[in-house]
Amino acid sequence: MTPETRLAAVAGFRDAFMIVLGYIPFGLAAGAAMAQTDVAPAVSILSSPIVYAGAAQLAAVQLLDAGASVALVVFSVLVINARHLLYSASLEPHIADWSRGQRLGAAFFLADPIYALAITRFERAEGAGAKADKIGYYFAAAVTCYLGWSILVATGVALGAFIPEWVPLELAIPLTFLLLLIPLIKDRAGLLAAIVGGFVALLAHPLPFGFGLMIGAVAGIIAGSIVIARTREEPVDA
Amino acid sequence: MLELLAVALSGIVTYIERVVFLASKRVRPPRRALRYLPLVGPAVLGAIAVPGILAPTGVLSLSETLPAVIAAVVAALVQRFTKHLAVALVVGLAVWWGLVFALVQLGLRQG
Repeated sequence: MTPETRLAAVAGFRDAFMIVLGYIPFGLAAGAAMAQTDVAPAVSILSSPIVYAGAAQLAAVQLLDAGASVALVVFSVLVINARHLLYSASLEPHIADWSRGQRLGAAFFLADPIYALAITRFERAEGAGAKADKIGYYFAAAVTCYLGWSILVATGVALGAFIPEWVPLELAIPLTFLLLLIPLIKDRAGLLAAIVGGFVALLAHPLPFGFGLMIGAVAGIIAGSIVIARTREEPVDA
Repeated sequence: MLELLAVALSGIVTYIERVVFLASKRVRPPRRALRYLPLVGPAVLGAIAVPGILAPTGVLSLSETLPAVIAAVVAALVQRFTKHLAVALVVGLAVWWGLVFALVQLGLRQG
C-alpha cells in the first residue's frame, strides 16, 4: 500500500465517521421506532447489515408489524430503494476500471451517504487520484458507514424499550426525512414531486399496509414527470 | 421466520438495484428513465415526511399539526444555516417538545 493510498483510506474513514455522527439521532430513533413494533428485535437489528437502507428498513419493519405479506414488503422496499438505480448508473464511469469483484463489492455498500461521499470525492477539482487510492477511500468510508449504521440501529432497538412513553419521538423520523429531502430538491420538478407525493400519501394514509406511501410516491413521480416533460423540451438524442 | 425471509429478500432486491449498472458494461440505463429517476428520491421522501409532520400521531388537528409544522420549519432553517442534519434534528425536536408541553400546560392538548 502506497502512502497515498493509506492517506486516501484515512480520509475515507474520517469523512464517513463524520457522517455516522450525523446519523446518531436518526439511527437511534429508527431503532427505537422498530423496537415499538411487534417485529422480533433480532430481525430489526439484522435489517441493517442485510438491507442497509434506513428508509426501506423502517418501512419493511412497519409493514411487517401491520401484518403485510412478504411480497408486499419486498415490493415496497424495491420501490423505496429505486433511487439506488441512479446511484449505480452515476457511479459506474468512476469505477469502470475496477475489477469485477471490486465493483460487485462496491455495489453492496452503495447507500445514500456512501454515494454522496464517493461522488463528491471522485468529482472533486483536484482529481480523484489513482485507482488504488479511490478503492482505498471508497471501501474505508463504506465499511465505516456500514458498521456505524448497524451499531446505531442495534443500540436504538436495545434502548427503545427503555425510552419512556411520555417522551414523544413520533416526529423524529418524519423530521429526519424532511431534512434529507430538502437538499435533494434541485428544481421545480423535484419540489412538485415531493409536495404531491407528500399530500397524496397523507390523503391515502388510511389505506392498509403502507399503500399510502407507495401511492403517494407514484403520484409524486408522475407530477414531477409532467413538469419535466413540459419545461425541458430537450431534443431527443441523435 | 417469515419476517427474516422478508428482510433477506429485501436485502437481495436492494443489492440488485445497487449492482445493476456496475455488474456489466453492457447494461446501460435507458435515457428516458434516467431523466425521471431523480424524481424518485423527492417523491418517496416527501411521501414519508409530509404525513408524519402534518399528523405526527396519526391525527390531523390544529393542536397536533401546528407544533410539528413549526418545529419542521425551524429545523429546515437550522439545517440551512448550520448545514448539519444532526443539529437541525435536535433543535427541531426540542422546539416540538416545548410547544407540545406548552399546549398541555394551557389545557389545549391532551398530555
